[in-house]
Amino acid sequence: MDDATAGEGALGTGDPTTKRPVPIRGEITEIVGGPSSGRTSHLVACLRYVASRGETAALVDTEEVFDPGLASRAGVDLRRLLWVRCGGHRDVALRAADMLVRCPGFALVALDLGERVPRLSTTLAFRLKFAVRRTDVALLIIGRRRLTGSSAALAIETLREGIEWAGPGAAPTRLARVRTTTRVLRSRRAAPGWPPLWWSA
Amino acid sequence: MSRFGCVLVEHFDAAAVERCEPALRECSLAILSPSMDSPNVGREGAPTADKKRAPTADKTGAPTAKMMMVLEANAEAREQGVRPGMTEPEARARCPMLVTRPWVEEYVVAARHALLEAALAVSPRIEDGGAGLVYVDTVGLERLIGDPPSIGRRLVHQARAIGLTARVGLAVSRTGARVAAASASAPVTVIPPGRERAGLAKAPLAVLDLAPDLAATLARWGVRTLGELAALPREGLATRLGPAGLRAHDLALGLDHDPFRPWTPPPFWEEAQGLEWGIDSLGVLALVLETVLERLCQRLAAVALAADALEVRLGLASGGHHARDVSLAYPMGEVKPMLGLLVLDLEAHPPQAPVTRVAVSAHPIRTQAGQGGLWQPPAPAPRDLVSVLARLAALVGADNLGSPTLVDSHRSDAFTMLAFSPPTESEPPDRRWRGRSLRQDPPAPGDQASALADTRDPPGEREHRLALRRIRPARRVDVGTAGERPAHVDARRVVACAGPWRASGEWWDTEAWARDEWDVVLGDGALCRLVRDRLTGHWFLDGLYD
Repeated sequence: MDDATAGEGALGTGDPTTKRPVPIRGEITEIVGGPSSGRTSHLVACLRYVASRGETAALVDTEEVFDPGLASRAGVDLRRLLWVRCGGHRDVALRAADMLVRCPGFALVALDLGERVPRLSTTLAFRLKFAVRRTDVALLIIGRRRLTGSSAALAIETLREGIEWAGPGAAPTRLARVRTTTRVLRSRRAAPGWPPLWWSA
Repeated sequence: MSRFGCVLVEHFDAAAVERCEPALRECSLAILSPSMDSPNVGREGAPTADKKRAPTADKTGAPTAKMMMVLEANAEAREQGVRPGMTEPEARARCPMLVTRPWVEEYVVAARHALLEAALAVSPRIEDGGAGLVYVDTVGLERLIGDPPSIGRRLVHQARAIGLTARVGLAVSRTGARVAAASASAPVTVIPPGRERAGLAKAPLAVLDLAPDLAATLARWGVRTLGELAALPREGLATRLGPAGLRAHDLALGLDHDPFRPWTPPPFWEEAQGLEWGIDSLGVLALVLETVLERLCQRLAAVALAADALEVRLGLASGGHHARDVSLAYPMGEVKPMLGLLVLDLEAHPPQAPVTRVAVSAHPIRTQAGQGGLWQPPAPAPRDLVSVLARLAALVGADNLGSPTLVDSHRSDAFTMLAFSPPTESEPPDRRWRGRSLRQDPPAPGDQASALADTRDPPGEREHRLALRRIRPARRVDVGTAGERPAHVDARRVVACAGPWRASGEWWDTEAWARDEWDVVLGDGALCRLVRDRLTGHWFLDGLYD
């Protein structure tokens, strides 16, 4: 999958025509943001796309927050997803991700670090970067703040812009959708821009 | 037309040790036994397992062996005059460069089975003739392999693939084939049909492995070869020697007495290694395991099989055993991933005492050859995948690893973990229960369209679905309400909220549940899902929309 052939939502492009940022094969992509800013929704969208192409993805879930039910509703083929639950141990999560990016064949390895992102030395970040390049895996890191510094090819921040409620009366009875936008923190290529997105509840 | 082949490995005890230590093939090697009752009794001819001697014991059970005796010697040692039955000092006096090894039953048993399995790769009907001796039914093999010399060469090649040097004889009868293999010096000897008597005539009488008293009688008569024995009058032999004489006469003519007893391979193939001292380090044990696995994989590769399960049995210095079963995620025949899996398993479940014996069994199966689809996206190679899964299981625990599968239930967060095994084909997943959530009506029985509710969603909505970060287990919170609507959560003010979404289930069972869900925006901007348990009245923070 290369940039030229990547369509909407495809892995491996910084194409501004895509609706949302996507991780790049053979590179590290970071999506950071505060709570309820849409980080996890971006992650699930990437998992969905990978599975829909018949490829295999792995999710290293530090705090065991992944919801298989909602992911399935979003279209993720759970059979193609390897879910690694780390019980809140961030060092274990980093080691698990390090193992997975060294296994060729995964299209996407996602590392969800949650709200407490550990410090990663430059050496370890470069080690991850070169492992990802060698196996041509897309490494997607989700967290409150950035982890790998200059080793990441693309780093974006998600921000929530608005919430829509729904219901028959004056008092809403359900959450309808959430609008988020993104801001590019770092991009090795020309910084693209993506339009705001509505995420349906 | 030849009907039987005989695969013979001479000096089998020594050959079994050479198979485990290939460097010994260039040395003069003698296999020693701790004791023998009569030190001067040699042992010639094809060895059999029942002749193996254990250390003798006196009436009190205490070992009485005082001297190491030569049980078997390889061809190089025999050229130097070393013979079975000699004492070790006598053998060393004849061959100063003699290398000795103790007799280890595991080596001989493993080599014996390996030879049988190698022959089984050539013909489906084989018979176990004893250690180092296999009879092969060659009927019909001409059309598959070729003429009898080609069949013989195939058998020699198969034996060489498992580390044994064999000679092969082919004849109409098993006895003829065995005599041909034992008496000839060429790797393959074929006795054409109808010429058995002439073909066997020059073979020495010793190849028949007759009883000692009968052999001594024939020697007194001046009978040295099978031809001389076959020329004796049958009636006279019956009168003087009885049934044993007639049997020997038949053997000299190349006639079989016993029926063919086909050998069936055991369900598990075992390779073992005895150790001279206890191993208490996993690193050193891994080296031994690698050696054993190499021999096991050699056997599997020789017959184009793979293993789908491994059993490790470690004999311990404490007298007990440590057994582990390792099921392989896919059939494999490579040493490296097998070794990695065994080491990882032993790291997680180490033996409680130093290891004195290592035995690895493999369950052999025939693998289905397959080719990936042209348009099929690349996936992790099974060998790499099984290795990384084992390492991850050792890191996070096997329960925390796998593919989530939704359970047929309305209960929130109902799923199970299955072993990760991505489908090889790109068929659509079973969507019967996909898309079911508490906030959707359950499908009516047989209502497939309703069951596939998620597929009716516009593509953009399915692609851009808001995710929920679950809090497991749901955290109990203090919620103040205004009416029934949440007003503050712990110390945080509720800015906006929607709900309730009411759900319940399993009211007919002890696991009954009922809950109200609220989506709330807190003062710090967090968009959460609050849950009120209607059975207890408690509030919980179920997750965070993100």
